[in-house]
Amino acid sequence: MHNAACTCWNCPAIDLTGKVDFRACGQSKEVFAQGQEGQGEGYIVAECKRRPELGLYDPMSVTFEECPEWKRTPFGYLLDNMRVMILGIDGYLGWTLALWLAALGCEVSGVDNFARRGWVSERGAHSVVPIRGMTERLHAAKEVLGLGINFRRIDVLNERPKLREFMDEMKPEVIVHYGECPSAPYSMIDLDHATYVQQNNVLGTLGVLFMMRDSVPESSLVKLGTMGEYGAPLTGRPLFEGMFPADAVLQWDNREWSMGGELTPRDPVSFYHVSKVQDTFNIYEACKYWWLRSYDVMQGVIYGVHTDQVAADPRLRTRLDMDEWFGTVINRFVSQAVAGFPLTLYGSGEQIRGFIALEDAMQCMTRLITQPPEPGQYDVVNQMSGFYSVRQLAETVARIASTEFSLPVLIQRVENPRVESDIHPYEPIFSKLPDRFGFQPRVPLEDEVYRMLELLTQPHIRQRINEKRHLILPRTWWSGLKKQVETLEIIEEIKYEPTRKAFRP
Amino acid sequence: MSRLVKLSARNFQEEVLESDVPVLVEFSASWCLPSRQQEPVLQQIAREFDGKLKVADLNVDRNPAPASRYRVMGCPTFVVFQAGEEVVRRTGAQSRARLLEMVQAVVNVD
Repeated sequence: MHNAACTCWNCPAIDLTGKVDFRACGQSKEVFAQGQEGQGEGYIVAECKRRPELGLYDPMSVTFEECPEWKRTPFGYLLDNMRVMILGIDGYLGWTLALWLAALGCEVSGVDNFARRGWVSERGAHSVVPIRGMTERLHAAKEVLGLGINFRRIDVLNERPKLREFMDEMKPEVIVHYGECPSAPYSMIDLDHATYVQQNNVLGTLGVLFMMRDSVPESSLVKLGTMGEYGAPLTGRPLFEGMFPADAVLQWDNREWSMGGELTPRDPVSFYHVSKVQDTFNIYEACKYWWLRSYDVMQGVIYGVHTDQVAADPRLRTRLDMDEWFGTVINRFVSQAVAGFPLTLYGSGEQIRGFIALEDAMQCMTRLITQPPEPGQYDVVNQMSGFYSVRQLAETVARIASTEFSLPVLIQRVENPRVESDIHPYEPIFSKLPDRFGFQPRVPLEDEVYRMLELLTQPHIRQRINEKRHLILPRTWWSGLKKQVETLEIIEEIKYEPTRKAFRP
Repeated sequence: MSRLVKLSARNFQEEVLESDVPVLVEFSASWCLPSRQQEPVLQQIAREFDGKLKVADLNVDRNPAPASRYRVMGCPTFVVFQAGEEVVRRTGAQSRARLLEMVQAVVNVD
């Protein structure tokens, strides 16, 4: 168990209020130490909110393995009935995680303003996998899986008093923040959309940070960022997990300095990505000022349809988008294959990105939740299970669709509406989740693509894809141009070579 | 297997001040990003100087008494102790080369 040796120092049930002077070094002269073996010479003491009978004790003396409140699960020790609040619980990831964590025994609450449904329908699109309203979703979760979820309709940005009240009521031990607008092209449509995305994301999250400070300072924030915050630097510099390691040095003027712990440069690739970078800085500062605890999750491009819970009943399915704004690339390719539409590579198709399947992303989030950060700790993880070029993905989807599902699939290159390097080096570092949190990817790309094709070729879903095929080709240009992209080339001959470059433990 | 000695207010006397070999102590903090990045470099140095130098880590939040006794004013602070006495100190993240410069005061680095 990756978190067996963690102690109450990591646990959200600890009460450190007034007992620890977090800025003891250099910034405060007051010493709170109340050692049991002499004045100011001993160690700190704390109280446990779940086990008040312990009284004042040394919080480093009890490990998760020893504490009866932490129970064994396949993903590490997990706090019994851990109170988890999911912001954005109606979305692709939020709904999936809600069911996943409830099935593991967490007490799940969540909020949503259904904005995602609104954005997608505003663009004339729909989720190709039909999804139900929240009332019916909750009913089915209870009926089919026996899971209760405490939902409240709240807008994170515009209804702060309501969210504050809900937080005070639930006292979440971890807050998973999925409540942002997740689309680069949506933010690039025009000024109104760019403004909306940045306000919604940045100011929404800023409010959450203040609420956590005042309501639940010991809980942790697991916040969704994106690998796109780093961009793809043409120097080929590795994309470290948020910070430089200590042996990365800056050399200048015959002197050298360690860059250890400094945030690495960010090079966001759209106004949406800028909002995520701003979040990163706001969270980093909040942890510094108020010793909040947070994992900032740089997630690779997500894809897939499956977890055991969402597949348990059609009413429990999570959404899947194929439009240019909210469809991620593999989800789009599979939908295009089902529609008989040549798969759309932007530009050269040689762009390389990190990817992760839905189920593996759920595993990662669970593992992060089971090992909460320490007081004041801001940390970054790169959450992906492998990296591929977009062309490799298209070829993989084409191969499985044609050989396993008899779908004739072509690949086309279209004009690239984005401003980005089509051809670039890419060396992401993504060892923290496997090394420190015990993450083991379980879903090979080919398996998930197969499962997606199985679902999406069902007649009622195929029909929903065909209804929106006019939305497949992008028309949102980073330059501001308003026109559908032109096809540059149809690739007739596809070489089905094994090109997979996935994580190997 | 970690070669870093985890220090606390309880074992500081024994592990540092009464140690037979010199000790490189990192005063670190949970909230301090630079100190959290030092571990791989410290592990490496601990391995290389096994038996000649002890490398240890003390969390200042959890152990305020030793931190204030040694007037740690910023994180991370590195102090080399020999025979219970402070020999050299540096504050802020340190590269491998800079740590080796510090260690040179008490052990042969070649």
